[in-house]
Amino acid sequence: MKTVYILAAGAVVLLVRLGLRRKGRGRSPRLEGPTRARRDRRLPGGAGLVAGREIRERLRGRLFRVVTLILFAVVAAAVVIPTLHSGTATREKVGVVAGTPPLDTELQNLAKSVGLHVELVREPDLSAARAAVRAGRLTVVVDGSGSILVQNPISSTDTSTGARYVQAVATTLGAQQAFAQAGLTPEQVAAVARAKPWPVESVHPGKGATTTEETTALLGIILIFIILNQYLTWTLMGVMEEKSSRVVEVLLATVRPVQLLAGKVLGIGVVALVQAVSLVAFALVLAQVVGSSLVHGAAPLVVAATLVWLVLGYAFYSWLYAAAGSLAERQDQVQSLALPLSAPLIFGYIVSLIGVSSGHASLLVKVLAYLPPTAPFAMPTLVGFGEATWWQFLLSVALCMVCTVGVALVAARIYRTAVLRTGKRVRLRELVPTLAK
Amino acid sequence: MAGLLELDGLSRRFGTVTALDDLSFSVPSGQVVGFLGPNGAGKTTTMRAIFGLTDLDAGSVRWNGGPVGATERRRFGYMPEERGLYPNMLVGEEVEYLGRLHGLDTRSAAAATKRWLERLDVADRSASKVETLSHGNQQRVQLAAALVHDPEVLVLDEPFSGLDPTGIDAMGEVLVEQARAGRCVLFSSHQLDLVEDLCESVAIIDRGRLVASGTVDELATSGARRLAVRVEGDRQGAWAQGIPGVTVSEMDGGELRLVLEDSTDSDVVLDAARAAGRVTEFAFGRRRLSEVFREAMGR
Repeated sequence: MKTVYILAAGAVVLLVRLGLRRKGRGRSPRLEGPTRARRDRRLPGGAGLVAGREIRERLRGRLFRVVTLILFAVVAAAVVIPTLHSGTATREKVGVVAGTPPLDTELQNLAKSVGLHVELVREPDLSAARAAVRAGRLTVVVDGSGSILVQNPISSTDTSTGARYVQAVATTLGAQQAFAQAGLTPEQVAAVARAKPWPVESVHPGKGATTTEETTALLGIILIFIILNQYLTWTLMGVMEEKSSRVVEVLLATVRPVQLLAGKVLGIGVVALVQAVSLVAFALVLAQVVGSSLVHGAAPLVVAATLVWLVLGYAFYSWLYAAAGSLAERQDQVQSLALPLSAPLIFGYIVSLIGVSSGHASLLVKVLAYLPPTAPFAMPTLVGFGEATWWQFLLSVALCMVCTVGVALVAARIYRTAVLRTGKRVRLRELVPTLAK
Repeated sequence: MAGLLELDGLSRRFGTVTALDDLSFSVPSGQVVGFLGPNGAGKTTTMRAIFGLTDLDAGSVRWNGGPVGATERRRFGYMPEERGLYPNMLVGEEVEYLGRLHGLDTRSAAAATKRWLERLDVADRSASKVETLSHGNQQRVQLAAALVHDPEVLVLDEPFSGLDPTGIDAMGEVLVEQARAGRCVLFSSHQLDLVEDLCESVAIIDRGRLVASGTVDELATSGARRLAVRVEGDRQGAWAQGIPGVTVSEMDGGELRLVLEDSTDSDVVLDAARAAGRVTEFAFGRRRLSEVFREAMGR
């Protein structure tokens, strides 16, 4: 199932990348009102208006609507499919010929041991049972005289629950018959049947069963990766398009660079957060409705941590992507700028994914959880494993916020210096004298 | 509405290139001021400096005697040389948005947008995306965006470039109308005849320095005497070459424009012209702006 989640995430990211050229659509402007222009005394500053335009244009975009629909579908599938799987595949009708109460008990115990619910159906004889299997009314028939009947041959590589049940029944009943033939009393046979394998201990921690929190953490970091990829790319492209269309010169004639930059980052960030919160709320409600385990235990805490780190991750990276966008004028220039910026993001994502998949948080994940570029993935992973205390979480948040302020200050200077330089891609070293002032 | 935009000692260097070199001139309200200079003279840098879009090494821009900051600039209108609009936005929404950025409330911005789009004959494209408009109509929208907030100062970089004659007339009318309403209007152009027709004053710069400025009348009547001479059948003006104290300024469709030094007797010129053929025009005249420009450039 984890592989499916990861593949789905990859598909969504690919879709976003392919659909970079969004198309805006809108309504006609409202054209009534007095002709005498009035100054807006309540204007909160250019950043608010810039953010408002970003939100309006992004929400109208076809790409946004398509990606949102796909994300909702993926989330629905991720929540519902596992519950469907557990509900259908673990209930079988098993026919019993010449059954006895001990045999029924044994069949139920074996079903429980492989995670299967069985309904035992008495069959008068083997020919009637065979007919029932042929008709599909029964999937398995156990003949108390010493044979098992199934619909199709079971290969040795079949690891489905049904196959494992048939193999367990065949092996156990065969062994019990052998013990009886060897002269063991029924009590002795029962004692042998209750034998438990010796515990095997490894010196290194192994992968236990995946907990609900780990699954939620996995879905969380995939969500963070998809959302960050989508919206950081929009930030980068948005700044580049403003520069290449020269509209930035008109805008900067009336708003300060930091207002324009902050408005763009804030506007796109609001859209990202709204989308993420909607997805999470949808997932939680759906999980409650279908009885998914996503909302059990400490999973809601992991969900909250995911949202916190989505915001922090966007806040940290968005300034960098916006500054990078101000260096470029064409899409090919943007690609070369995006690659080094996304490297730490992808690194943090992959290391965290491996951590969740392996079932324990490595030292690397624990270190990355305190580095702002990778913390958005590594810290939710630690929370999923229950290996982050509240103060560790807050320390990481504080570190990220402090670094974000520093990054924003540098990014604003790069943006202000580079965004009006046209003609060719601006190299960072060209800006060093200005930045050093 | 009275005001004065002053540019005082503006200097700006880009590496080894001097873009502005102690440049000073002013734009009074009620006048259309033409801003002239060859390519690379520093016109765009000057206009950007007015809006704080380029840092200055020295000098200042003042509005009504005070420094120009963010508050003042919101009352200025700007049309940059490289037109800038969001290509995907709707025309009406874009102009309205820019009006809001200049401080208009929603209702006023919508009303002003409607008024200016109608005035500039693009109201029927209000609900179209900017990118679907022709170059000329995009230019009109750009002008509407510069005017939507009723600016006190209007700065336009090459507003007429790429416009057809109808567009030139419409834009020229608007600029004159704005000046008559008491705004400061400064625009750059290479179309000197147009500048001569529209402007009360001009400022001419070269290599970032002011080389001539004043009203068009002052510049036209100052300097050496001008003679316009037309000799039937003559297209070369060779007869005027070599007359002491006489310089050929322009040859325009058979009309030879001559610059006479103070000591030169115009009768000498008339005699030389008669010797070349029948003289059909012989009149003292004003300097054309193109002559002012060339002489200011030393060419």
